[in-house]
Amino acid sequence: MREPTYFVLASLLDGPLHGYAIIQRTTELSGGRVRLATGTLYTALDRLTAEGNVELVREEIVNGRARRSYGLTSSGADALRTEAARMAEAARLVTDRARRVKAGGTARKASPA
Amino acid sequence: MTPLERRCQLLLRAYPAWYRRERAGEMLGTLLEASAPGRRWPSLRDARSLVIGGLRVRGALVWCLSMLWVAVGAAGAGYVFILSAHVPDAVYIGIALPSWVGESDATYVAGQLGAMAWLLLTIPVLVAGLVRLRQTPWIFWWALAWVAGLALAFPVADWQPSAPAVWACSGNQGCALAGYRYAVVSWGELAVFAGWLALGAAMVVILARPVRHRNLSDATSRARGEASP
Repeated sequence: MREPTYFVLASLLDGPLHGYAIIQRTTELSGGRVRLATGTLYTALDRLTAEGNVELVREEIVNGRARRSYGLTSSGADALRTEAARMAEAARLVTDRARRVKAGGTARKASPA
Repeated sequence: MTPLERRCQLLLRAYPAWYRRERAGEMLGTLLEASAPGRRWPSLRDARSLVIGGLRVRGALVWCLSMLWVAVGAAGAGYVFILSAHVPDAVYIGIALPSWVGESDATYVAGQLGAMAWLLLTIPVLVAGLVRLRQTPWIFWWALAWVAGLALAFPVADWQPSAPAVWACSGNQGCALAGYRYAVVSWGELAVFAGWLALGAAMVVILARPVRHRNLSDATSRARGEASP
């Protein structure tokens, strides 16, 4: 899963959002790293909707224009959790090692090779 | 309508009409919200993303491939017509492509490259079209158009033999089974040329069909139904 997709799905964890709210929320969640352009957002939404990871939940009219809110489907939530677990696993490879080196670095140095 | 709104709407034309009917209002709202207050132009990032997004929805790849295929096919028919029109020049027929006496090397090489390009494009055109039109009834018409293209690729020019073929060698073309034949102006090639143009138009019509956004449209009607109790 690519990073923008991950953050788009993550932005919907707290409930359905409309287009611009998704852009804002992804920027917020990613610490400003993922800044979705409008076209990119809708390409992603089209794909995620077609894959069944996201669904249209509400449509209202604001300023004479359609405003649609999108929500996470159960399969989308599953995909997001799977990806999060995979990344946590990958992160642990590095963080655990760093912790071990910090905690037992001197001991290891002292032990006979 | 503000200048920003007008410019955003212009940008949204990157998307095909059927897609805009479904999405343009919503996207315009998002674009306007995403633009800083007082802006008169949409941001460069938004503009770029819309152009790329529009090309993607339109299926830019299959458009380019198929239009190139049609253009090369039409050019090929025109080439064979011109070839046949060099009466009563002798025409070299062999394993290499035919050429007329006094044809420039550049034209000859262009003809050969064109034939090669057409052959190389044939399968990708079919596959790209099938992928794009999958789950739509138009996939059948695409396959049919492709078969028509194959049929149009065979020259209908009428060559009159004047002597039995012999092995002949030339400096730049190597050796080939060659025979001098007289061409008869092949008006049929003009019909084939017109056929290619018609095929191109048919492909344009087929490719302009909406691709299936199953969940988008279904969900839209569902959401509308739920909104009204």
